[in-house]
Amino acid sequence: MNFPEIVHQAIQQAGTAGLDILPFAVPFFVLAIALEMVWAGRHAPGAYEPGDTLTSLLMGFGSTIVAGIVAVLIAIAAGWLYTHRVATVPVVWWSWIAVFVLDDFDYYWFHRTAHRIRWFWASHVNHHSSQHYNLSTAVRQTWTGFPALSFAFRIWPAFFGVAPGMLLTVAGINLVYQFWIHTEAVRRMPRWFEAVMNTPSHHRVHHGTNPRYLDRNYAGVLIIWDRLFRSFEPERDDDPVRYGIVHQLGTFSLKTVAFHEWRAIGRDMWHAPFLSKLGYLVREPGWRHDGNHTTSAVIRERWIAMQPEDEITGD
Amino acid sequence: MKSSAHHAAHLPDAHPIHLGAEIAAVFARPGVGPWAILALQFAGSLVMIAALYWLARWLRLGGDVRIAGREHAAELAEATFPGFAAEDITVDRARIGALVRNRAGQVLLIRRHGARFVARELADHQGIRLDRHTLTLETGDPRFGALTLDLGADAQTWAASLRRLHGVTVDHAR
Repeated sequence: MNFPEIVHQAIQQAGTAGLDILPFAVPFFVLAIALEMVWAGRHAPGAYEPGDTLTSLLMGFGSTIVAGIVAVLIAIAAGWLYTHRVATVPVVWWSWIAVFVLDDFDYYWFHRTAHRIRWFWASHVNHHSSQHYNLSTAVRQTWTGFPALSFAFRIWPAFFGVAPGMLLTVAGINLVYQFWIHTEAVRRMPRWFEAVMNTPSHHRVHHGTNPRYLDRNYAGVLIIWDRLFRSFEPERDDDPVRYGIVHQLGTFSLKTVAFHEWRAIGRDMWHAPFLSKLGYLVREPGWRHDGNHTTSAVIRERWIAMQPEDEITGD
Repeated sequence: MKSSAHHAAHLPDAHPIHLGAEIAAVFARPGVGPWAILALQFAGSLVMIAALYWLARWLRLGGDVRIAGREHAAELAEATFPGFAAEDITVDRARIGALVRNRAGQVLLIRRHGARFVARELADHQGIRLDRHTLTLETGDPRFGALTLDLGADAQTWAASLRRLHGVTVDHAR
């Protein structure tokens, strides 16, 4: 069998059984992190912190184990949807592109929801819990995405005839793309690229705790979704990004990083009046039943109220 | 439209390629089962993680960060609570922590965390202990832990003023 045939059949298999490119990308991840560390050693030693990096890497390691366990269950769910599909999308070159774009659209809404509903935020917050922004932060992935049912955002197209294998494959490509944008080593990409694609600059904003940057730039691969749905915020040189979460954890503990928000939800629900308990699950992070909210919208409003007009608009 | 899947089914040597299986076959040895390969992956991943951690330490990344002074402490307070206008500041002699108060009487305790800083509001005088020039402070957040600051002569005055704290802890879920 010659090379083109292998590629052809691999693509076909990707459309049916799926081709998870993540394992193939891991060696490049390791190499890229090592190279970025060398860069940081010369130009920005503060960009990395060994303890923080170790936590991120172990979170990534744990997430691959969890993913390996739950992948079967997600595949069964997607397979069930596909079995009951109302149409069939052919596995051809143009459908690959269409499915990739559709999945990126789904990712945008998953990601936006993950920041706007505390139930989903609890499984996503660990990715934001580092006060550093480097390639190791990219692998600080969730251990609890499956019980949070985050996968529901990505598998629904199977019901409309998209082969589960295609969904798995494009989701893997999406995830691998997002690795390289977690860096301070790249300042800006060419203007045309910044206009369409998610870039290190756009994603730095997403990881920012500055009031201006809170809950902005949810994109996975294409930044056009943020521009379209009015959640885009450009990075400004006069407002350097401060990374992490509003209430910084102050610990490198794996247990805390992985589960702290679930625990906080439980504590808040326990102490809340009966009719307000659900709010701590389905309202945005920072919502409080007593009205003393510290949501991103409240933080931004307070900040805007304190700023002179030109400080906000950049005029 | 004829699908590519249909076309593939008519290739002379068409049979499904299971890339994982093909790659595993390259490394396959008699008596080596999938669990051994998984164990190898597991161990390899941990070795890679240890190697990267070692590299970060060897390159001395992160460094030894300290609070540069009162202005830096004020900036850190403002970064934690946007709009927090520091009015009274004291910095630990080793510059590993600081106390910052605003006009409203809110007090922030700032401490080093790796190569960054974290801050918590001090909302209660419980857990504050004075020992000559040092103040030991607890915020009520076990993750933050207790912090002992060497404040020199400032320790006495800050201890006295902190005794008046009886506010409500500001809780941030984000």
